[in-house]
Amino acid sequence: MTGECHISSLVVHSRPDRVSSIVESLSSIEGAEVHGGAETGKLIVTLETDTESQVVERINAIQLLDGVLATALVFHHFEPVQERE
Amino acid sequence: MRRGVFLGLISIVPCLAAGAILAQDAPRLRGPEPFTREVPAPPMQRQVTDDVRVGRNYPDQPPVIPHSIEGYAVDLNANKCMSCHARKFTEQSQAPMISVTHYQDRAGNTLGGLAPRRYVCVACHVPQTTAKPLVDNIFTDMDAITEPERQPARGRH
Amino acid sequence: MDLTRRTLLKTQAAAAAAAAAGVSLPAEAQNILTGEDLHLQWSKAPCRFCGTGCGVMVGVKDGRVVATHGDMQAEVNRGLNCVKGYFLSKIMYGNDRLTQPLMRMKNGQFAKDGELQPISWDRAFDEMAKQWKRVLKENGPEAVGMFGSGQWTIWEGYAASKLMRAGFRTNNLDPNARHCMASAAVTFIRTFGMDEPMGCYDDFEHADAFVLWGSNMAEMHPILWTRITDRRLSHPHVRIATLSTYEHRTTDLSDMALIFKPNSDLAILNYIANYIIQNGAVNREFIEKHCNFRLANTDIGYGLRPDHVLEQRAQHANDAQVSNPSSFSDYAKLMSQYTVEKASELSGVPKERLEALAKLYADPKVKVMSLWTMGFNQHVRGVWANHMVYNLHLLTGKIAEPGNSPFSLTGQPSACGTAREVGTFSHRLPADMQVTNPEHRKHAEEIWKLPHGLLPDKAGYHAVQQDRMLKDGKLNAYWIMCNNNLQTAPNTNNETYPGYRNPANFVVVSDPYPTVTAMAADLILPTAMWVEKEGAYGNAERRTHFWHQLVNAPGDARSDLWQLMEFSKRFTTDEVWPAEILDAHPEYKGKSLFDVLYANGEVNKFPLSEINPAYENRESKAFGFYVQKGLFEEYAAFGRGHGHDLAPFETYHQVRGLRWPVVNGQETRWRYREGHDPYVEKGSGVQFYGNPDKKANIMGAPYEPPAESPDAEYDLWLVTGRVLEHWHSGSMTLRVPELYKAFPGAVLFMHPDDAAKRNLRRGQEVRVVSRRGEIRSRVETRGRNKVPPGLVFVPFFDASQLINKVTLDATDPISKQTDFKKCAVKIVSAATADAGGQQ
Repeated sequence: MTGECHISSLVVHSRPDRVSSIVESLSSIEGAEVHGGAETGKLIVTLETDTESQVVERINAIQLLDGVLATALVFHHFEPVQERE
Repeated sequence: MRRGVFLGLISIVPCLAAGAILAQDAPRLRGPEPFTREVPAPPMQRQVTDDVRVGRNYPDQPPVIPHSIEGYAVDLNANKCMSCHARKFTEQSQAPMISVTHYQDRAGNTLGGLAPRRYVCVACHVPQTTAKPLVDNIFTDMDAITEPERQPARGRH
Repeated sequence: MDLTRRTLLKTQAAAAAAAAAGVSLPAEAQNILTGEDLHLQWSKAPCRFCGTGCGVMVGVKDGRVVATHGDMQAEVNRGLNCVKGYFLSKIMYGNDRLTQPLMRMKNGQFAKDGELQPISWDRAFDEMAKQWKRVLKENGPEAVGMFGSGQWTIWEGYAASKLMRAGFRTNNLDPNARHCMASAAVTFIRTFGMDEPMGCYDDFEHADAFVLWGSNMAEMHPILWTRITDRRLSHPHVRIATLSTYEHRTTDLSDMALIFKPNSDLAILNYIANYIIQNGAVNREFIEKHCNFRLANTDIGYGLRPDHVLEQRAQHANDAQVSNPSSFSDYAKLMSQYTVEKASELSGVPKERLEALAKLYADPKVKVMSLWTMGFNQHVRGVWANHMVYNLHLLTGKIAEPGNSPFSLTGQPSACGTAREVGTFSHRLPADMQVTNPEHRKHAEEIWKLPHGLLPDKAGYHAVQQDRMLKDGKLNAYWIMCNNNLQTAPNTNNETYPGYRNPANFVVVSDPYPTVTAMAADLILPTAMWVEKEGAYGNAERRTHFWHQLVNAPGDARSDLWQLMEFSKRFTTDEVWPAEILDAHPEYKGKSLFDVLYANGEVNKFPLSEINPAYENRESKAFGFYVQKGLFEEYAAFGRGHGHDLAPFETYHQVRGLRWPVVNGQETRWRYREGHDPYVEKGSGVQFYGNPDKKANIMGAPYEPPAESPDAEYDLWLVTGRVLEHWHSGSMTLRVPELYKAFPGAVLFMHPDDAAKRNLRRGQEVRVVSRRGEIRSRVETRGRNKVPPGLVFVPFFDASQLINKVTLDATDPISKQTDFKKCAVKIVSAATADAGGQQ
């Protein structure tokens, strides 16, 4: 079976007083992972998805979170996945 | 043929304490049981020829050869390995170029071509067969020790 | 997509976003680990395998070896390793390491026919001591023995020698080095009065011609071969001549390959001597000043059991070692029989090639380095072959100077350092002294602070004799350490295995892994290996090199050194020494062997505080003093001032080894030569000072046939040996997946015509049958070894193809080293044999 793997990263600009709740919400979004930036309100988030449209879906979902000011896609990479035993 | 039979010889019970020794049929490591038994010779193993690079266990490990080298001449007149792995041929062959360390002589000076001391490629680089290892090796990669949480759940080998 | 790659891309993605946002991420989220993050501790060590003695750097992380590479600072190899050396990191991590003692038991008691069950060290030593005491009481010290190793560290060999000779009062101690280079060692003493080469590896960069006698250096000494190929390819005038009984990777890179019939190297060597004499190439001045001539006893038998017809028939089987003073003219007369025609006829080598080879030796302008290992040493006339090559160098004066060098390569990492220098042979004491010499014994007793008359005066059983005596029930308590002799001894089905399973015997094997030998033992002791202990090795060029303990051995595995010393605590002098000695020296009464051998005021002189705190040292902590230093310094006292000078202990932990004699901090590269060797008197030029008259012996000996040759029924020569990827019996290298997969099993190398004649195809299963036994193997008609018609080669690393069931236990009658290079076999298809039934 072949599919794709999409790896992307975003800067999520958040209101400083809402950072902790945003981090919590991000953790419930599939494939999203926070790497740092909480102290400045600029959260570094990576997304791991199977399709490109899922990347867009996730970004939209993040933008709708309470306290998120802006979301910027910085990095996007995809490659075919070879299923190995 | 004379078959030596020693009177009063005690044969060995082929059994080991559990856990002490891997319960794997490996006469290649431990010999037949009992010693005097004749065992069939396993078939010769096929060469790996898939040309897929194999990762190294640590930086200085010479990479293994993922193709057959049968009939390759490495003699005073020719070095077949270099017909693909020399710098000037790698573009056509798409084979990895020999490491830059291979341009250094004994004193550490860098030469323009393959250092004569590195001429015998097969002293360090060996092809592989499809043989399945006789016993696990629990050597651990340095990265896995440094950052266990970031390591793949790859089988030990 | 592999999970590591996914992780890597994710960190890359996060890093890109962080850079864009001007955010700094925590260190663990960075893209890739740098060398600094890994915090490896790098330390030097010598390689664990052959006698070359390459330096390696060992990287340790959290108590595990995680990387190794060639040491750039090591002069021997300058950053290179062979494929075995590059995989040293993995040799300790086979998942079947032995981690606790195992004993054959039934109903909770030792039983020879019981099953192996785990026990404690205490229990193991209790039973072992009980058996040792029983045997000593019933049959005396000569019924106790030990088979050691050229892979032991220097202090392990030294501690074993003390325990056996001074503790149990037996010289039945021999190393596996007997199978490996006894012929070389014996001939050094017979020729120069001192063991080990006069030259060193620096000769590789000075010689104009390399002559390899029965040596496949490309596979067996690959790093030294890099130095020869470097010299050959960088200097077009240099020539390589290789003599062998078959073609291999070394002949591939040789200018001349001389493929000779087994044993006929003797005729070729004598022909060259004759050529030198006939063509006026003798260096008259040199031989007059520096050489004596002797003629060896001839018709000396084959070291088989005394009732064997070949021994009965031989005129000098019992005094094979004797030689008589002679003269140049008598020697020249003996050599004159060896014309080029005769040498060519005996050897099958064309006359022109023999002449071309002889010219290399005869030409005074050509600096010649002769090299040999098992082809010469594992030879029923191995001592003669060694003599004959020295003869060529002595006749021409091409010796003991840069580039002119007869050089005996060694097989094991400390064949020189431990087996020879420490003297773990059944006839030797440290620093070339002999057990049969009363002065030498007295000297040893003084250094060891032991009562006079304690050391036994009779040479003990050598390797092959130990197996025979075990079988015959004369050797009953037997400890095997650091070797796999049931796989590597000759004629094992008939002469080795029966002794291990003889109900009269108690056999102990110390090993890191369950080897063929361990599986046949009554008690198995789990052993620490390589950098799991502090160690010292001595390589082929007299280089002594050290390493620290870098990691701990798994489970209860402990070093051979700890085992030897701990076991000595189980005996008191009253139990093992004669009453008359104790009555004359009552101060030794009631003491343990540990007290008199190791806590003797010398060995325990150095406190734990002298140990480098950066390294663990389990044995020292166990005994409460710096054991390695104490043993080394006591041992060094034997050689200092006697031409075997070693540097102070600490020095060796700093440097990449030093070549003895080390005098005033300076190592010696060329011995016996004024200006290089401080022991040579000013104005003398050359002195072979090992002999009282400071002259070397040129020994005349003839060609004699081998013990067994092919005939109508057993119609092929069998040669056995190693392959590059595997070390000896494979107990370490077969457990490294990359090495195993490179050469997973033994094969029978055979000429395609010989295969066709027997209707055999490549890959077909066959029986390799001799008068002693048989094994099954697979036919290989291609590959790295190209054997001539009439000869087959089988490597011995594969325990499922125990080729030593087939070999003959003939030895050189002088050195007692086995000839693993020639016996007669037949090859039949396994299918035919199965279908036709066995008669």
